[in-house]
Amino acid sequence: MTLTSHDPIPASNLDGAVEDYSRDKVYVLTALFLAAVTVVEILTYAYPDFPIWADNLVIPVLMILMAVKFFTVLYIFMHLKFDKPLLTWVFYAGLVLAVLVYMAVLSTFRIWWPESHG
Amino acid sequence: MAEALTARESIKAADAHAPAAHIEHDTNTGISNTKLGMWLFLASECLLFGGLITTYLLYKRPLEGPTPKEIFDIPFTSTSSFVLLMSSLTMVLAVSAIERGDHERLRIWIGATALLGATFIAGQIYEFTVFVREGLGFTTSRFSSAFYTLTGFHGVHVTIGIIMLMSLVLLSLRGKLPEHRSETVEIVGLYWHFVDVVWIFIFAVVYLVP
Repeated sequence: MTLTSHDPIPASNLDGAVEDYSRDKVYVLTALFLAAVTVVEILTYAYPDFPIWADNLVIPVLMILMAVKFFTVLYIFMHLKFDKPLLTWVFYAGLVLAVLVYMAVLSTFRIWWPESHG
Repeated sequence: MAEALTARESIKAADAHAPAAHIEHDTNTGISNTKLGMWLFLASECLLFGGLITTYLLYKRPLEGPTPKEIFDIPFTSTSSFVLLMSSLTMVLAVSAIERGDHERLRIWIGATALLGATFIAGQIYEFTVFVREGLGFTTSRFSSAFYTLTGFHGVHVTIGIIMLMSLVLLSLRGKLPEHRSETVEIVGLYWHFVDVVWIFIFAVVYLVP
């Protein structure tokens, strides 16, 4: 049977998948969602006094938006949502190690307390 | 040795006679070693880019030369970021096309991905040229060194991705990329998406965070 772009790709045809891969429409909608999030990110620069991210909230807002984009690409485009959990663990091992190591480095250099640099 | 030869012959036979079938991977994990290897490589890349981003954060306040706020052109970089984001869509559509056995669309989507990637690189070269003209050379300040090293490393990754994409197009045109080898496209896709994911981080942390 020939699959069209409207059909999900069966997990049995895929390597290391536990769920069927999405239809193409899902990927297009995901890209539109990512584009919308990017627009919001740019708005934080264009309108710095907008109430949602005024009062020093711009960094947390940007970090949340970045994380949303990061995990959307990871789970939908890179298929972590559909593949065996082992791949998720392998990647998270590197990601978590990197976050912990470099948070420690930044803390050592007192980056969270800029006034302490003198 | 004999086992390796037998495996190679069976792959050749699959190429010749079973274009729609997938080769089963007899690994303990049920995942091919190449796919698992690519994910391990991407996990290690987190540490590489983590180190470069950390260095940038430590050195982002220049002691001399132009400051980030003075030289960054956010509308231009936003457009470049959008281009790279859309290349992730064309890449996943290319993977989807080969999984469905649609070779014509595979080549179209891979070509589009390479073109978008090349547009991003062209934008980065233009941006670097403008910065150098404005007095921000590689050794101007600790900020400039950290900035060029981080974004330059990312640019090299994108360039390597474009070379891999063009290789896939050539393989496909020569008929050496049948459906049961779709994993090759998927693995290049994983690399490409990771490069996009890294840029998502760089764009927010380097360009947008005040």
